[in-house]
Amino acid sequence: MQLQMVGCSHHTAAVEVRERLAFSPTQIGLALERFRTQFPRAEAVLLSTCNRVEVYTAAESAAEAPNHQQVAKFLADFHGLDFSAVFNDLQEHSHRDAVRHLFTVAASLDSMVLGEPQIVAQVKQAYQLAQDYHSAGPLTNHIFQTAFRVAKRVAHETTINERRISIPSVAVADFAKCIFEQFEDKNVLVIGAGDMGEETLRYLQAEGAWNITVTNRSFDRAEELGKRLGARVANWDQLDALLVAADMVVTTTGATQPIVTLEQFLAIETRRDQRPLFVLDLAIPRDFDPAIGERSGVFLYSIDDLQTVCARNRRQRDKELPAALIIIDEETDRFMSAQHHRSTNPVIQRLRGNWQDVREQELKRLFNKLPNLGEAEREEVRQSFERYGNKLLHLPLESLRDESRHGTPHGLIEALKRLFQLKD
Amino acid sequence: MITGITTFCFFASYTVALALEISRLWLRSNIRGLVMIFFAAAGLFAQTLFLFHRASTAEGIPLSSPYDWFLMAAWVLAALYLYLSLYHREQAIGVFLLPMVLAIVGAARFARQEPLERDPAIQLWGTIHGVFQLAVIVAVAFGFAAGIMYLVQARRLKRKLPPTQGLRLPSLEWLARASGRALIVAAVMSGLGFLSGVILNAVNHASDREHFSWNDPIVWRSALMLAWFVVAALFSVYYKPARQGRKVAYLTSASFALLVISLTLSLLLKSEHGGRQSDAKPPSNALRNSEAL
Repeated sequence: MQLQMVGCSHHTAAVEVRERLAFSPTQIGLALERFRTQFPRAEAVLLSTCNRVEVYTAAESAAEAPNHQQVAKFLADFHGLDFSAVFNDLQEHSHRDAVRHLFTVAASLDSMVLGEPQIVAQVKQAYQLAQDYHSAGPLTNHIFQTAFRVAKRVAHETTINERRISIPSVAVADFAKCIFEQFEDKNVLVIGAGDMGEETLRYLQAEGAWNITVTNRSFDRAEELGKRLGARVANWDQLDALLVAADMVVTTTGATQPIVTLEQFLAIETRRDQRPLFVLDLAIPRDFDPAIGERSGVFLYSIDDLQTVCARNRRQRDKELPAALIIIDEETDRFMSAQHHRSTNPVIQRLRGNWQDVREQELKRLFNKLPNLGEAEREEVRQSFERYGNKLLHLPLESLRDESRHGTPHGLIEALKRLFQLKD
Repeated sequence: MITGITTFCFFASYTVALALEISRLWLRSNIRGLVMIFFAAAGLFAQTLFLFHRASTAEGIPLSSPYDWFLMAAWVLAALYLYLSLYHREQAIGVFLLPMVLAIVGAARFARQEPLERDPAIQLWGTIHGVFQLAVIVAVAFGFAAGIMYLVQARRLKRKLPPTQGLRLPSLEWLARASGRALIVAAVMSGLGFLSGVILNAVNHASDREHFSWNDPIVWRSALMLAWFVVAALFSVYYKPARQGRKVAYLTSASFALLVISLTLSLLLKSEHGGRQSDAKPPSNALRNSEAL
């Protein structure tokens, strides 16, 4: 099988180059159709994400497969770019390297954020599109299905994608969900209209939070955010009452002084009956006096606290990388060995075919000489011949399988062809 | 086959399950969850057969001795653990719950093993009394485990640390609710247990059977325990801040400490409660079981 990958990623090309080479889903369809017209005997899958544009091609023989330059030119032509302007930004992997690369990408080990979970879905989507446009076939099916299995294995056997590394996901998964069992009955108060707060709210909404109130010094901005989030809007002067009712607070104002001081909080604390209060202070400078976090039932996290956890989780993920790469290498070896062994199949089939012909001729001759043999005895003789043939073939075929582990056993195949006069 | 099962069989199974739970902290394994559940289920199965055998061969009322009540309390807690570990596989609830199971099985060794004599009135009130006492032990032990989990989880969250690998615990909300409910159940069961004990003693007294006087230490101890549970439950229900997790965790911890002291005293002090231990000869299988443990 001729397998190669031509493309670029955040490792090899600047964002300007990746932007020029990127494909929208519609463009992917058009590109795959064009590819099929240009290279009718080859299969192709096109993966285009924010961080990479990669074309995987596969064909049974080198004559049927496009080479590196042809794929690079195909990419440049599709986007109307000068071939020489993009050629140096494209990298190429073939055979074993291409397989290893795909496994590494699918397992999210080549991602900008190590272990991020979106990439496997993006690879699946790319393969699905290739299937929809009939540019995928048995060769790409085998390698991509194996890649999905490898990604699953890496996720299962390491903790590489277990620890969260974005601030909103850490805030919700590592802290909020450890405080509250359910979010449907919780009052969420949003103070300010920062982007980070909005992103965090999306995570909270995904967990079921719906009772959201937004307040801001500027009522108009609060209304705007409220509309976007489907949340209630409250006046700024109701802040104390809102804090009494709140279970979770996400605050992202641009205030230069704390908007909730310890004295202010102590004044409302008794009215809260020490109900747990989860505060995400994502503002710089901070909106809540840090001393409030010392109060019973208050869990106050600043952006620095969350960043510390993110950095710690990132280090933990990095620690898992060697174990994940061992899995990738194991799986690549296994895949390549299976591929190499597959390449010996035609020779084995022809060898078995010849053997069978000789056996049938000899059996015919023997049964003519022994006409008194019954059907049961004939069957015994037939089986005996078959076992004899299988035993004789067993050792050469085992040698072929062993050699396949290190690559396509061209020498042995050639020797078998010449020794047994096997014709193509 | 059943006669060959000893307390050691299920004690060992639960110990292995606990060791596997603790190993979560250091080792990552794909099959540990299944092995853990297997050992816990095997222990529960062995314990069920053991209790069945004791019930079917008892000379008096089946499963009516304090020894049986302890073992049944441990059985309920083990079943609870198995249920929770099936539905919350990622959470290390067993690290806190299984030591309770093992401690109760261990405590059973020191409890009286002779069942109550067969009599319809005693059977009814004795069984009711035993079931309520059993429920108190289960509720307090479970509430204590939930309370400790709450304190561990709250400490981590206050220190702004991410969840420890392998020691994921339920949310504070779940733990606070579980320990609060355990406290109320303990109060109600303790009240009903005390009441049924009083009736049982009155029945014994009326029929000229062995009974104990109202100034027996067990009466005072039970009354004090009941008073504590009622006050703690009322405190947690009516005083709002007390309902918040940490205070409930402290109340359940104090309840557990009181229960342990009470049970220890009942094993050490001489009491007429349920008959004298030294008077009766333990059944042969019970003797073997205590030796095995």
